[in-house]
Amino acid sequence: MVDAEKIASKQKQISISEFFEKNKHFLGFDTLQRAVITAVKESVDNSLDACEETRILPEIKVEINRLGNDRLELICQDNGPGIPRDSVENVFGKFLLGSRFHAIRQTRGQQGIGITGVVMYSQLTTGSKTSVVSKVASDSSAVYVDLGLDTRKNRATKSNERRDVWFENGQEVRHGLKIRTVMRAKYQRGRQSVHQYLRMTSIVNPHASIKLIVKDKEGEIIDQGHWVRTTDRLPRVVEEIKPHPHGIQLGQLQRMLKEADERKLTSFLRHNFSGVSVRAAKEILQAAGLEEGRTPVRVKADEAQAMVEAFQGVKLLAPPTDCLSPIEEMLIKKGLSKAIDSRFASTVTRKPTVSLGNPFQIEVGLVFGGDLQADGPIEVLRFANRVPLMYQQGGCLLTKGLESVDWKRYGLDHPGGRGLPKGPAAVLIHLASTNVQFTSEAKEAVADNEEVFEEIRKAMLEVGRGLRNHLKKSSQRKKAQEKFDLINIILPEISKKTSELLEREEPDLAPVITKIMNAVFLEDEIIWDKETKNTICSITIYNYTARARAYTILAKWPEADGVCIVENPRGGRKETTGLWNWRLDTLDPGQSAEIRFAVSGLSKGDWNESDVFFRGNGEIIGATRIDEKLLDEMRKMDALAAAEAEHAVPKTESIEHLVERTPYPVNEGNDEILIDGKDPVGGDSETASIDLWAYEEGDE
Amino acid sequence: MSANGFTKEEVIGALHGIAAEMHDRMAKGEPPRMTLPVRTKQNIAFDNKLGVYKYGKKRSTRDATSLGSARQLLRALHVSEFIEEMIEAGKSSTLREMYYISEGWGHGKFGSQNESNNLAEDLEIVTKCMREDFKLRPEEDGARIIGNITFEERNRKGEWMRINCRDDVGDSGYGVPYNVESEKLKLVDHDVDFIMAIETGGMFDRLVENGFDDDSRCALIHLKGQPARSTRRIIKRMNEEWNLPVLVFLDGDPWSYRIYASIAYGAIKTAHISEYLATPSAIYLGIRAADIMSYDLPADDLSSKDIQALKAELSDPRFADAEWQNEINLMLELGKKAEQQSLAKYGLDFVTDTYLPEKLAEIMGR
Repeated sequence: MVDAEKIASKQKQISISEFFEKNKHFLGFDTLQRAVITAVKESVDNSLDACEETRILPEIKVEINRLGNDRLELICQDNGPGIPRDSVENVFGKFLLGSRFHAIRQTRGQQGIGITGVVMYSQLTTGSKTSVVSKVASDSSAVYVDLGLDTRKNRATKSNERRDVWFENGQEVRHGLKIRTVMRAKYQRGRQSVHQYLRMTSIVNPHASIKLIVKDKEGEIIDQGHWVRTTDRLPRVVEEIKPHPHGIQLGQLQRMLKEADERKLTSFLRHNFSGVSVRAAKEILQAAGLEEGRTPVRVKADEAQAMVEAFQGVKLLAPPTDCLSPIEEMLIKKGLSKAIDSRFASTVTRKPTVSLGNPFQIEVGLVFGGDLQADGPIEVLRFANRVPLMYQQGGCLLTKGLESVDWKRYGLDHPGGRGLPKGPAAVLIHLASTNVQFTSEAKEAVADNEEVFEEIRKAMLEVGRGLRNHLKKSSQRKKAQEKFDLINIILPEISKKTSELLEREEPDLAPVITKIMNAVFLEDEIIWDKETKNTICSITIYNYTARARAYTILAKWPEADGVCIVENPRGGRKETTGLWNWRLDTLDPGQSAEIRFAVSGLSKGDWNESDVFFRGNGEIIGATRIDEKLLDEMRKMDALAAAEAEHAVPKTESIEHLVERTPYPVNEGNDEILIDGKDPVGGDSETASIDLWAYEEGDE
Repeated sequence: MSANGFTKEEVIGALHGIAAEMHDRMAKGEPPRMTLPVRTKQNIAFDNKLGVYKYGKKRSTRDATSLGSARQLLRALHVSEFIEEMIEAGKSSTLREMYYISEGWGHGKFGSQNESNNLAEDLEIVTKCMREDFKLRPEEDGARIIGNITFEERNRKGEWMRINCRDDVGDSGYGVPYNVESEKLKLVDHDVDFIMAIETGGMFDRLVENGFDDDSRCALIHLKGQPARSTRRIIKRMNEEWNLPVLVFLDGDPWSYRIYASIAYGAIKTAHISEYLATPSAIYLGIRAADIMSYDLPADDLSSKDIQALKAELSDPRFADAEWQNEINLMLELGKKAEQQSLAKYGLDFVTDTYLPEKLAEIMGR
């Protein structure tokens, strides 16, 4: 009997170890190189999630020490809320400790088996315990404990538990968590490394401060990194939402039915799903051939199947999308520019959309120039719910969406229009979703999905247009700069030298300059004013032609809540959201005029490049003629947004609904344009460009 | 005094002419400019009077409507000023020194040595002066000469020094100075029947070691690849003043054809002074394309660059006559090229005992 028990327990122990062994590829421990990345990842993800929930700005420190014989010591420390003594075992010891199935929201910790896997891997490969120090703010001291795993009982074993005050660098730690573990693993550098993982993490978590230090056996530092915090704004707290019927599978429905407290199917549907009104619930049940009064627990499998089918046939409200936490354009820009030295960044946060009942949102950031490698494919940074994806790049939907764009049109080398484009660029793709579908359990590549693909594509086209604009602008700017150098520096020197050599009077250069330039030039510059913390945009227009000119100048500026124009001596008027308008009535030959305005509410580097447009006769080198047709579109969008705000629609209703109800908006701005009769609009309105900002003659 | 007989006042006056063209234009409210002949093979033509190739009528205008051209104009003015200062101070500088001096010219400084060399040539062309007039020396290595000829060279102390290029020199021969005009070098006397110009140092040394200069009563001159101006000039002077035939002995490849053309007809880059540099009566002795076959010489396949060069030569006016067209087409057909030293296949003395005597007999026979 005793022997039998022993054998049984041994078998069970073997089986859990075997389970780990067999599945280590999707648990992330299949190679020695990957094991340490996975361990860091589990730990850092937990830290970031915990800090986010408790509204703490994360300070994360990762230390790796090579011990020889392919063994590494890993120390991860955060300033999070800590884990109360009684929960330590559960967090670190429960294998496959599932989160609640019914609650759906966007979290990082959807991957792998969590930190428990690290404890187990360490125990299986080196036989060592994982040491934990945890300090909760309300306790006077920290808990010190060593953890192992009882694989038979699927729970943690504690040893050496004690309480003590926790000091780090002579400072008492008020709250936080520190784990130390020894495992068989290899530290390597490169595209798939701890360094790269933390770098990527810092890009999408600009509110976190992350430090890495790696030492060899002799204690020499062999790798390190410090990614500083660039914003004090924590990601917004995400709302939990109920599942939407369009995304429900039979198994999940059956489980929900079994656990339901409701007595009637109508109330079950209304209480447990999002987007289901009373009317919709009745329609579903009718379509499924079920009585409204049926008790959910008693619904049979074939009946549940009928319900799943009925879900697809009934019109439902879309699920709410405030359960998503996008990084947002400005922060993506900050995150990217922190990690990558580049000249230009273009970012897009698409509106949330729904696929199969799951809300999702795509964000894309593109950086170009600077230190980025000019030869070879661009760098792709993939993220799902702020978690870096480092493997299986080629098979990932995010990559496919990127590759589907004809990048040649946007200024990148794209041989054959296939695969990754080449050039000094890096592209970040973030998929935020309540339910990220991966190609496999390894959770490294996002599975195909038409709606997600389309959103990625659209986002890529947007940043692509930004890049094309930037490149066009830089080349225009370069040409203009050369002309300015020519007339301001070289020509006066030529004049001086000839006059010296010949001992003659210096000639009047003004007519020569007009002959050389024969155009209107515009120079713009964005300056950060340290004193006032304002961003100043300065636009100078030079008339180097032989006759007087008149123009309307329009400049794009990052209008948003809390961002406003504080100084603007030339006045002008608002054209539409984010676009200001000034009239320059006469600009005589040889004259220049400056438009200067200051914007408050931005941080240094938030706004680096302006877009300047014009209306009027003749070209301006350095500015783009505005596309009136698209300006109209923009105004309509503005009016829609304004109407939306006015009606203060209940959260659950979709915007699509609103469009049907709102009478077609009449924008006062339209009339103003018509009055502005001096501006020749006719020639341009023929050519419709998709993108206002990219408008250019001959552009498709 | 120089080859073309300009005084220093004339040189300065010519340089001022460039500045004056710019100043006059500006005074009229026009962008300053400089007018130059086009310096490509499309714009060289045979000058019947001089018997050499000169620039044709095509002119290009360099005016200050683009930044690059404006910089060139400014550089031209800086160079003019610099030359004027050197003339006044009785100094001279190398082209390379001028390139470094331009570091102090602010926006007028040169981007590369090549730019400064080209600009010096531009100024020669526009002013019709020569760079010796400008007190600019080349960096390039002059040739060396061995043979029973006698020069007088003015040394640094200003004294005339008599040198016999056979008896007063070592194995490396007489080094040709960069200035070979009469104020620096006098052709005194000779006892030779012809001059042989040789492309490679290896072949020059072979002929010297074999005593070819004495046996065949000739002066040997080592070209060192594409010959420097002074090398071409001294060949020209020996040809004209002593009335000696010039035979050119080169490798058998497309680039050697160009070396010959620069000696006999004038180089494209220096077509403005072809009449001072070119020796129209120079004879191309070998290696001929036909030699590769008739002597069964070890040969290499033509590279794609070689073929490109040959094809370019077919449309070069200097190679327009039937004999050259045949020669070039023959090499293209063979698809082969051979070095001078491939003659060593038949022993070290083959070149002096067999090849050259046969070639000389052939030429004298014509």
